[in-house]
This record gives sequence, structure tokens and C-alpha cells, in this order.
Amino acid sequence: MASGYPPPFEGSAEVKEGFLCPLCLKDLQSFYQLQDHYEEEHSGDNRHVGGQIKSLVQKAIKAKDKLLKRDGDERTETSYESFYYGGVDPYMWEPQELGATRSHLDLFKKHRAARIDHYVIEVNKRIIRLEKLTSFDRTNMDAGKIRALEKSVVPWVSDQDVPFCPDCGGKFNIRNRRHHCRLCGSIMCRKCMEFVPLPLAYKLTSSTREALCVPGSPGKGGSPGAGGPVVQQLPRRGSISSLSSVSSVLEEKDEDRIRCCSHCMDALLRHQHKLEEKDHVPDIVKLYERLRMCMEKVDERAPEYIRMAESLNAGETTYNLETAGGLRLEVQKYYEHIDALSKKILTLGLKDEVQPHPKTLQLQRMVRYSATLFVQEKLLGLMSLPTKEKYEELKEKRREEQEKRIQQERQAALEAQKRRSEMEKNRPILSANGDAPRLAQGPRMTKAGGWLPSSDAVHSRSRELDDPLLQQINNIESFLRQARAANRTDEIAMLEENLRQLQDEFDAQQTSRAIELSQRLAEEESLQQSQLQYLEQRELESKLHTRERSLDFGEEKNVEEHGVTGSNSREDLNVSPVLSPLLKTQSIKSFPRLPGNSPPLQRDERTPTPPAGETLNSSTSASLNPFDEDATPIEEDPTNPFSEEIQKEHGQASSRKNKEYNPFEDKEDQEREGKESGPRNPFEDDVDNDDKGNPFKETSNQTPAASTNPFDEDDDGPAVDDIIEEELLLQQIDNIRAYIFDAKLSGRTDEVELLSQNLRELQSTLQEQKRKTH
Amino acid sequence: MNVTLAVKQYISKMIESSGPGMKVLLMDKETTSIVSMVYTQSEILQKEVYLFERIDSQNRDNMKHLKAICFLRPTKENVENLIQELRRPKYSVYFIYFSNVISKSEVKALAEADEQEVVAEVQEFYGDFIAVNPHLFSLNLQGVARGRSWEPTVLPRVTQGLTSVLLSLKKCPMIRYQLSSDMAKRLAESVKQIITKEYELFDFRKTEVPPLLLILDRSDDAITPLLNQWTYQAMVHELLCLNNNRIDLSRVPGINKDLKEVVLSAENDEFYANNLYLNFGEIGTNIKNLMEDFQKKRPKGQQKLESITDMKAFVDNYPQFKKMSGTVSKHVTVVGELSRLVSERQLMEVSEVEQELACQNDHSNAQQNVRRLLQNPRVSELDAVRLVMLYALRYERHSSSILSSLMEELNRRGVSEKYRKIVQAMIDYGGKRVRGSDLITPTDAVAITKQFFKGLKGVENVYTQHQPLLHDTLDQLIKGRLKDSQFPYLGPSSLRDRPQDIIVFIIGGATYEEALTVYNLNRTMPGVRIVLGGTTIHNTKSERQLSEENRQTGSR
Repeated sequence: MASGYPPPFEGSAEVKEGFLCPLCLKDLQSFYQLQDHYEEEHSGDNRHVGGQIKSLVQKAIKAKDKLLKRDGDERTETSYESFYYGGVDPYMWEPQELGATRSHLDLFKKHRAARIDHYVIEVNKRIIRLEKLTSFDRTNMDAGKIRALEKSVVPWVSDQDVPFCPDCGGKFNIRNRRHHCRLCGSIMCRKCMEFVPLPLAYKLTSSTREALCVPGSPGKGGSPGAGGPVVQQLPRRGSISSLSSVSSVLEEKDEDRIRCCSHCMDALLRHQHKLEEKDHVPDIVKLYERLRMCMEKVDERAPEYIRMAESLNAGETTYNLETAGGLRLEVQKYYEHIDALSKKILTLGLKDEVQPHPKTLQLQRMVRYSATLFVQEKLLGLMSLPTKEKYEELKEKRREEQEKRIQQERQAALEAQKRRSEMEKNRPILSANGDAPRLAQGPRMTKAGGWLPSSDAVHSRSRELDDPLLQQINNIESFLRQARAANRTDEIAMLEENLRQLQDEFDAQQTSRAIELSQRLAEEESLQQSQLQYLEQRELESKLHTRERSLDFGEEKNVEEHGVTGSNSREDLNVSPVLSPLLKTQSIKSFPRLPGNSPPLQRDERTPTPPAGETLNSSTSASLNPFDEDATPIEEDPTNPFSEEIQKEHGQASSRKNKEYNPFEDKEDQEREGKESGPRNPFEDDVDNDDKGNPFKETSNQTPAASTNPFDEDDDGPAVDDIIEEELLLQQIDNIRAYIFDAKLSGRTDEVELLSQNLRELQSTLQEQKRKTH
Repeated sequence: MNVTLAVKQYISKMIESSGPGMKVLLMDKETTSIVSMVYTQSEILQKEVYLFERIDSQNRDNMKHLKAICFLRPTKENVENLIQELRRPKYSVYFIYFSNVISKSEVKALAEADEQEVVAEVQEFYGDFIAVNPHLFSLNLQGVARGRSWEPTVLPRVTQGLTSVLLSLKKCPMIRYQLSSDMAKRLAESVKQIITKEYELFDFRKTEVPPLLLILDRSDDAITPLLNQWTYQAMVHELLCLNNNRIDLSRVPGINKDLKEVVLSAENDEFYANNLYLNFGEIGTNIKNLMEDFQKKRPKGQQKLESITDMKAFVDNYPQFKKMSGTVSKHVTVVGELSRLVSERQLMEVSEVEQELACQNDHSNAQQNVRRLLQNPRVSELDAVRLVMLYALRYERHSSSILSSLMEELNRRGVSEKYRKIVQAMIDYGGKRVRGSDLITPTDAVAITKQFFKGLKGVENVYTQHQPLLHDTLDQLIKGRLKDSQFPYLGPSSLRDRPQDIIVFIIGGATYEEALTVYNLNRTMPGVRIVLGGTTIHNTKSERQLSEENRQTGSR
């Protein structure tokens, strides 16, 4: 890393590189690890520092992403949105802000408020009247009395005023009689008349009473309560036309309904819908919320796991292998849930007699599809962990690398020191106050005041801060501190101003330099790598710098030797882990934990899917659900290893039960095999049971067979070996199933074949092993 | 100055501000294509948008558990549909975004319809154009002209589109237009009018050098759309017809059913993004590399995976492999089809003659070549007509023009009457009489020497000699040499400095060749950013239509 960018001001042999924690100088593997480490370890130290570092780091990342437009190898997580630029070199298109917008919401709300008031008042009026109309006993009263009461609620429009039906335009006569709306008093013909059934009326009025009681319920705050308007209404009775039309006397009595016009009916019905919808949460929403929760969890956990897996695969000791394994299981568990939930969403309402609206089905399909995409995308990126033995190997390898590197560095540093001692004579100014020629306004006024702070600590630290600006900032900071100690307020103000300027300058310089860099990058493809490193170093420097800036300088720590190993050593390591069948240590460690873990998992899954429902479910979904065949391979079996354990512990019988309820069993298979599938191993199905000629038989047989003595059973060793082997196999099976699913989706039949063959082989190997363990 | 990003940001913003939960996107016909150009389905699904509905669709169910994001053009019909929608809301909340300026009275009408208080947002988000590439936009408008003037209904739409581009990029430009075209002038005035009327909207932070909007007319350079193109995107468009980033491959013999319609989007197809502007030969090489790369990763069909280690290596590689396989099969199919068409229609020879016609000034040679190709039975009808059109445009006034005998030749080939009429239509549309700048023969000394030197150096590639007129126009514009007499400023003020942000709009449509030119200019001119737009993106077929419409309407 250092090759492209020689550190100019080294005082000693140590060079710090890689992702070092700015506070404890701990070497961390990747940027994200560093960030996490920082958040975990030092979150309490100093919020302010944290914020500063974060903002600087983020700036640096942003610059880097924008400029280099590619993902570093160590960054598998891409939380930011990356755009392809359609062949346009991105550096030409400076960051773009959101285009112009204009909001009409205020105007809209103003107009709406006026309208809503009107609307709400109208609806409330009708409901209050409705209440009055239903408050007396309709059945035991004679029609005339009811009419009088009804008339008292709302003034009726006089018959003479309305010669035609206002809705249909039909002329009123002896045959086409006038009818009055009991809610607004208007007149319509029989055809246009509607009825409010009493149950509906009660429902409406009761909910209103509740709603009116709720303080501050929207739009209804104006009406003081059910009782109030009654009083207000009464005085208006005087305006009722005293003439009751002759024809209306002939009207039949309405015992269980209230006549009204279509407009009133419409308003009431809409009001009712609204009330109903308020409390109603459809099933899909409940399921969907759970689905999103799982997805969030995955988004939260998966990067953590990937970080761990990467670190472990690189042979680092930052994380514990078991924790990572546990996390892997947890993440896979969430995938399970996502899959199950989305499948449930997909099949919602399919069993109902009335089929849901095609759009509802489409929505369900889309939710399922996006969940599938999510699982596909994230699951395929879920790398596997090294085995215990491999891990030890990796650790060893890494140690060796580190030692080698340190030695190299030492040698290089010795030579560099020699060279420097000669060079130092040639440029005393540079190292003395760090004022580089390109820095235009170095604040020298400090010396003019007669009070001269000494530039302490600058020299000793200068080796880390190769940027003259950074040095200057440091200088000023130390001056500032001294000035504060000396209580020179005017100086402090000036210095602070200087510091601010310098920091701005530094930021600007960073950006401009980065732009410069990217331009060069476009021209010289070959230099890309070294420039990337340069930028990374920049990041590091900025981190270091911030740390130095806001911390007590007296506490400077010595540069740690092992900090030298940056991400370089990681690159050198061979990351491709070879599966080893022998994993004693890991398995022994993880074994005791498992029984504790697995029963709740099992139960958790079992309860929502009783076997009968399951088969029913699967059979219906098979016929109606286009996704069903795809769903099979995506199934994950992380708990299966556990069930193996249980099997061993609790004997065959209990394990059989487990199997029967195993949620991960392929539904297709269940269907095919019916209830008989119970005692069988989930991996037996669609495997042809003929183990002969299986290439895996040899390879996997050898190790366990060599060590497994049939009488050895109570001894943990070999059995545990098998278990781990199985776990790995299961992992592989999971992966391959996911791939098959994927291949099927995109219709690559040759791949499907190949993959399913692989799957078969793996499964038969697994079985072979199982047979041996029992 | 990235139009794709501009639209994408608008859409992302809309979705983000609606909060979590299941969403439906309500659009009209035009906004559907606007959105689909910048977002893929899987991308937008990740943002919890699960349904895409047309506002005018009757077949929508009540789904109160969905939030609706309405992205609509502010047309009368849309507002009316929206009012109906709000009266009987099908979704729980409505976030309304109009793609352009909406009148206060319409806002009021909407507000009054919202009796159930379901509207949570009413905004104008100016994504009223189709972003084809980061520096290329289109309005997907055909038939913009009636004779030599605007189709009355289209001018407002073009104005809206163009102003929305300005607003989305936050540019308040000075305007220059092509003097020879009345349409350009009308459009310039119309845009200016909007800027004056909505001055509050256009009140952006002033830059040192104000941006520039240059409005041109297609008739000034009718030749460019007639030439066969050899860059990937342009070829796909010319030969397979690229529409909203989609191509229809259903006519390709023996096509796999999955590949009947493929999406070519630089946004999420890296290979396409990298090869958009490369020529056919380079693409061939790249495809080969891609294939080889793919073969290496591909699991060997018959080879058994011997150990778990092998298996693991395979599984680890699989995601990349899978991703690659989709890309590979798509591009291999497309390039395969392109090369089939090229050889079937003998496009290499045709293109050579076309380029010669467009760039050289050797009449006798040209006429021989054209005649020779017209007699070649494998040259398609379309290409034959195209050659004659080029000849006609090029040697319109040549003393010994053989146009009439070429027309006879076409007749003998059995080319339909309709096609033959187009030749005349083309001359009417883009002939010398209407051209503002000199498309073919350079007149000033500088240009002559330039051409002379070009001749000395020889041509690098016979198929790509032609430089569209736009290149010269922009080059002069950037150097500050574009004549005010030909391209006057609208209004009194003029630009003294070298322009930095340039938006070029071609009435009658841009071409992918011009897009390439702009792309190259963007690359080679530091500090200059150019965005190209057109009422549509042309290929030969659409240009032919254009001139045809022009003729029909003109003679009316």
C-alpha cells in the first residue's frame, strides 16, 4: 500500500496503515469493521469526536464512491444507492441535487378545510336526525304520529314548490306521488327513494355517539354532543309547512326503515364505510408487517454476519467462530420466516369461495415476488464460514504473513531512515514548521503578538501527518491550547478563526484532490489500484487527524507494530476455504449449546402449521399458486442440523415426530408421499436411494469410516465429526436448492439438471453418513 | 446535468416521503413510460411499491391498506379522473405529484373532491420527459409539425417537456434558436413565456455563466437520421427499434420465448452501459470476451464435481455465474440478430456508400455506387430508398443529377409508389431550400481547409466518417463562434463567456448518432456539460414518417 505513496515525514520506522481505530489504534480488517468497532468500543468516549470522525469518514467514502464508482472487495454491503452512468464518466456529472419542486399542499388544505367543514356538518346533521328518528318505538305507534314526529325532526319542503322529481325529472301527479326524505326534508319520487334499514341506522348512530364522545375527533369537534342539537333543532319547527299533502296520508307505515333521498343515503353509506375501515386491519397487512420486520432484521444482521465471516475467513481473531455460526443460523431463520410469511400472503384468500379481486391477487404475487428477490439476493451473498480446522490454518497463515511483513517493514524503515537523515538536511524548513509551499496562508501572526507558543508534539507526530495542512491544523491546535492555558482570549479567537479556515481549506483540498485523482484515473487505467490506496490512506489520515485534533495530545500512544498490516495481508491470504471433514473443536464447543437452542425453534415453527393444515395448504397452493414449484428449492434447513442432534439425543421415536412436523420439508414431497413421509428423512425424498456409484460415497466415507468404530458411539469424537460434516452438507444443500430455484425461474434447464444432480449426490452422501452414525 | 438521475431522484423522493407500507403507483400513459425508463420493476419493488396502476383504469379494487402515489401529467383528463378517484377513494392515503405546473383552480377542484381527507401531499415534481441516457432525453412525440409550423396541440406539450427538463436540472437558461426555422422561434418564445410567468420557480442560484438552451430544427440536418449507424445503441434502435429501452425480438427466427422482449437499460446492465457507444466491431470482441469469461465460470456440463471442495467452489461462484448468464444470453441474442440483419441486408456495403454520399464530394463515383447497389437484389427496399434519398439531398442541385433515372431504377425494382413519393417529401422537408446552415458544402475558408486536411489524413473508418451537423454547431457554440445571425438570442442579452451548461433541443427528433456526438463532446471538453433532447429519438423509419407527415399536412 505504501508503494504508491511514500510517507514523507517519518520520524521512526513505524508506519501505520490499514483500518486502524483512531482511538486505540487497533487494526481492523475493513472499513465497516472499523466503524462498528468504533461504535461499540468508543461510543461512550466522546460523542463529539465520534460525530466529527463520522462526518469526515462519510465525506471520504462519498468522495471515493463517487469518484471510483466501484465497490471495494471488502465492501459487500452497499447501502447507498449506486447509479450506473450509462457510459458517461461520472466525474463530469457533479453531484446533483433534487430538481425543482413546488408544493400546493397549503392551498389544497385551505380549500379542503372549507369543504370538509361543510361536508362533516352535513353528515353529522343527518346522523343526529337519524338518531332522533330512531329514538321512539316505531312499531307500536300509528303512522300519523310517526309522521308528526318525523316532521318535527326536519322541515319538509312544501309540495307545491316541487312539481318535478329533482333526481329523475318525472312529473308528480296522483300516480307518481311525492315522497319526503326524512333526513333532509326534500322531495323525490318513489323510484328515487331509498330506505335506511333500522339496524344500519342504529349502527351509525351508536358509532357517532362514541365518536362524539372522543375528545377532539376530527371534524366533529363543533357539535357538542347528541343531546345539544336536539334542543337547537326544536325552535326551527315553526318553519315546517303545516300543510300535509293529501296523498301522503295514504302512505304505508315504515316500521323497520326510514325513507330518505339518494343523496342522504349516499352520504350515510360513505360515512359508514369510513367507520368500518378505521378499525379493520386486513390479514395481508398483519402478515406484511411481520414480513417487513423480518426483512429489517436481516438487513441488520446479514452485514454483521458477512463482516464476521469475512474476518474469520481471513483468519482474524476479532470474532468468535461460534458466534458467527449462531448468527448465521439466526439470519437463516429470518429467511425462513420471510419465505413462510410471503407464501402465506401469496395464498391469502385463495381458499375463499369468492375469489379475491385479480388486483388483490396481483398484489399478493408481487409481495411474494419481492420477498423471493430479497431472499435470493441476500441469501446468495451469505458466505459460508470456515471450518474450525481451516480457521486455525488461516490464523496461522495470517500470523506468518504479519511477521514477514513486519520484518520487511523494519528493513525498509531502516533504509528509509538512512535516506532521510541525508534528505533532512536539504529541507529543514519543511520539517520545522510543516509549512508547505503550496499552502498559501499560513497563519504566522501568532508570532507577532509577542507571546510565542511552541509548536509542541508536532514534530514527533509529523510522521503520521504527511499533509502540510494537517500539520498546520495541528500546530494551531496546540497553539490554541497553550493560548487557552495562558488565558489569551484575543489570540484564542484569532486562532480559532484560523483553525476553521484551515479546516475548510483542508476539506476543499481533499475534494479537489479527489477530483484531480479521478480525472487521472479516467486516463490511466493502470494506476487505478495505487490511487485507490492513496485514497484509502487519505481516509485513514483524516480519521487520524480528527482524533489528534480533538484529543489530548499528551496522550499520544506509540505506534503499534502490528498495525502495519492493512488490508494487504488479507488480500494475500487464500480465502477460499476447503471443507475439512474433521472439526472436532468447533463441534465440541457448539454441541452443548444446541439442544438448548433447537427445541424452541422447532416448536415455534410447528405451532402455526399443523400437519393437516399444512397438507391442505400445500395442495391448494399447488393447484392455484404459480410460485409453488419455485418455492421448494428456496426452503432453508438451518434447523435440520439441530433436529439431527435431537435425533441422537432422544432416540429415533422422538426424532420421527420432529420430522413429521418439520416445516422445512418440501411441500411438494409431502404431497407426493402423503402422510407416509413422516418417518422419512426430509432429504430422502427425490433422492434416488441407490447410493452405488456415488462419487461422494468414497470421499466422505473415508474419514468417518476410518475413525468410526461401531462401538464407539458413546464417545463424542467421531459422532461429532459426522454432525459437523452434516451441517456443512446441509448448508451446501441449502445453497444448491436456492440455485436450482433461481435457475428454474430463469428457465435454464441444463443448469437445473446439473444442480439437481449435485443435490442428489449431496443428499445421498448425507444419508450414507446418517446410516453410519446410527 | 444528468437527466436520468434527475427523474430517478424525483421518483425516489416520492416513494420515500410516503413512508413505510405497501404502495401502489398510480400513473397515466406517459408517466408510466417516464418511470419505466429509470426504474426497473425489481428496483421499485424493493421500495415497497407493489402495484402499478393507470389512473384511467376501471378495473381497480378497493385496497384501503395501500398507499397511493399518484404521478400524473397535469392534463384535464387526469385531473378529472383524479377527482373521481378522490370522491370514492380506493386507497388509504394519496400522495399526488404532478409532472408539471398545475393551475390553482385545478388544485381547488381536487381539494373540494377530497371530502374524506385522503390526500396527504400535492406537489409538482418536474419529471415530464423521458430520460433515455444521462445526457439524452426525448418527449416521445410523433407528428409535431403541420407543414412548416407547429401542430397546435403539440407546442404546449413540447414547451412543458422542455421547461420541466430545465426545472429538474435547476437551470434558468438564456435561449438561442435556429433562425431559419419558424418552429424553433415559436418554441423559444413559448419557453421564455413560461420562464417569465413562473419566475418564482426559475429562481435558482445564479451560476457564473448562465446555462444555455439551444433550439434547433431537424430539417436543418435531414441526412443524419438516414445513415446506418454502427454503435450498439444506435444499431439496436435502427435495426430492432428501441422503444423505452425495450426491444421486440419476437420476429427473430428461432428465438427463445424468454427473450422475445428484452430490456436494454444502461442503468442496470453493466455490459450495455459500457458498450453503448462502442462500434459493432468492438462489441463483437467484447461479446467474445464476455462469452469466454462466462465459459470459464460455467460449470462443466459433464464433468462430475469430485469432492465437496469442488462443489463448494462451484457454489461460491454460482451467484456471479447466474448473473452473468442472463446478461450473456441477452446480448448474444441481440448482437447475433444484429449481425444477421447486417449480413442479410448487406449493410456494410450500403453503409459505405451512404457515408461516401454524406461525406465525400465525388458525384460520378457516388452515382455509380448508388446505381450498383440499387441493382443488387439483396439490398432491401428501405435501404434502396434511403440511398436515393441521400443522393437526392446531397446532389439536389448538381448539374448532372441522375435523380430521375434513379427513381426509375426504384420503380423497376418494384418499390411501391408510397416509398418513391417519400424521396420527394424528403427533399421538401430537408432540402436546400429550407436549410438554415450549410449542411453539405463548406463555404468559408476555415471549413474548406479543415475538410482538406481531413482528406489528407484519410479516414479511419469508412463506416463512421460522417459527423452530424450538430457536432459543428456545438463546437462553434462552445468556442463562442456560433453566428448570432443564424442562431440569435431570444431577448436583448447575450452570452459573453464560453458556455458551460448547454441544453440542446431538436424539434423533429434527435438521433443516437447525435447522442454519441454529445457524449464525446462531454468527454473531451472539460467544464462543458451538454444535454441533448428531441421530440423523439429517430431512426430511418421514423424520419421517413416525419417527412411523410410533413408532406401530407403541408399539401393539405
